[in-house]
Amino acid sequence: MFGYITPDKPDLRICEFEVFRGYYCSVCKSIGKQAGHRGRIILTYDCAFLALLLDSLSQTPTAGEKKRCMIHPINKRYIVDSNSAIEYSSDINILLAYYNLKDKWQDEKKIFGPAGMLVLRRGYKRVKKRYPDLVKNIEEQLNTLFELEQQNCESIDEASEPFANILKIIFKFAMNYDSAGETLGWIGYNLGKWIYLLDAYDDIEDNIKSGSYNPITAQYKYNEKEGLQSFRKRTREKVEFVLIYCLSEAEKAFSLLDIQKNKSILENIIYRGLLTRTRAVLQIGASSNEKSV
Amino acid sequence: MKNPYEVLGIKEGASIDEIKKAYRELVKKYHPDRYMDNPLSGLAEEKLREINEAYDYLMKNANNNNQRNQQYQRQQQYQRQQQQQRNTGYYGSGFANDSQFVNQVKMMIQNGNLAQAQRMVDSMPNRDATWNYLQGLLFLRRGWYDRANAHLQRAVQMEPSNIEYRDALSRINNQYTGYRQNQHYYRGGYNTSPDMCNLCTTLWCADTMCECCGGDLIACC
Repeated sequence: MFGYITPDKPDLRICEFEVFRGYYCSVCKSIGKQAGHRGRIILTYDCAFLALLLDSLSQTPTAGEKKRCMIHPINKRYIVDSNSAIEYSSDINILLAYYNLKDKWQDEKKIFGPAGMLVLRRGYKRVKKRYPDLVKNIEEQLNTLFELEQQNCESIDEASEPFANILKIIFKFAMNYDSAGETLGWIGYNLGKWIYLLDAYDDIEDNIKSGSYNPITAQYKYNEKEGLQSFRKRTREKVEFVLIYCLSEAEKAFSLLDIQKNKSILENIIYRGLLTRTRAVLQIGASSNEKSV
Repeated sequence: MKNPYEVLGIKEGASIDEIKKAYRELVKKYHPDRYMDNPLSGLAEEKLREINEAYDYLMKNANNNNQRNQQYQRQQQYQRQQQQQRNTGYYGSGFANDSQFVNQVKMMIQNGNLAQAQRMVDSMPNRDATWNYLQGLLFLRRGWYDRANAHLQRAVQMEPSNIEYRDALSRINNQYTGYRQNQHYYRGGYNTSPDMCNLCTTLWCADTMCECCGGDLIACC
């Protein structure tokens, strides 16, 4: 995943922000435990969101304390105590980061691919051993995705399907034997589609330069005479429709969940953070000044 | 039964007005129309039932049977109307010949039997408005929103007089704009505070009214 799922920070209360960051730090810590401290660099907001969402379905109140950590040694930070939701999210983070590096290596032959994979290898193997079915299903979808990209798939719906399915599998698996599983699955499916397409729109320029596959340039037939700006303009509305529709479906599914805690933070993300992020990418073209909390 | 106050998301001992307000908003939020093209429509129905029960319970205990009944009846009536629309108007208008077929496909889509529905849609001889409409609904349910939108638009273009097609198209457009404007109850949404334009017109209006009565609010105009 790519770290697109973030809260709308200005609209978050400070205590809410602390809790969100508490989850983020806790996922980071958990990754450190599983994949070694060098692995912590792969942490994404998306997995912090996953941890927050899954944990909000359990009734035990959020517990945590102020601690020091390696990455921020000066100030103590509030870190949520590890629980099953956080461990699951950190495993997912390791898994997806590993695939992401592999993909980058296959696509662009970037040298940090194999280097990163080496660092994550141990964590990846552990995760694979822990959830063999999950990993198998995800890898099937990744193969489909790879084939579609090879064939230069000309439909944004079709191209985004495998990644949407991956997130569906991940979200659903967390509550597989519960009625919430279906609901979570639909949230995952729509967020996956949203992430894939948003990332594609964000990468139009890079992909044109490097000549690699991009579903949006494939469906809407980019040609060089047209120029990047007018292509972006021409496709913006169409892509925006799909993106926003995905979010609205995710929102509908979210309203059906029985949220036990941290509701206001989740609502901030679902109703504002995602929309703000969509707007930023569609208008500016690149998510500028990204900063870690 | 769950705590009715919790179900409605209000504090215990809330006033009748507060209960009603919360109830109305929740009904809007979980309305069957909003979940029509969604795979989770069953869960939404369940949630609405829960909300109705909680509301009934609270209103009964509020010793306000009259109002409760009125409200409840109105709600029931509305639901019945919707049901009727769904049963008759929904399927009826437009196709006299193959409405049975269309109904069947739509039932399959609703029940999540998407592969079978796709086979039936594929078997249709003509790529007419009906085909576009059904294909659009199918794509919508699968989560292929770009194609769904294109097919529904084509259906409306080919047969602009058909209410059913127009309904489906406006439903997805409403959902799109609805989310964009954050209508659905997040700290009152985006547009709650008055903007500068509103402020100026209000001042100007007040000034004009004062002047009509012989006074003056803003001396310079």
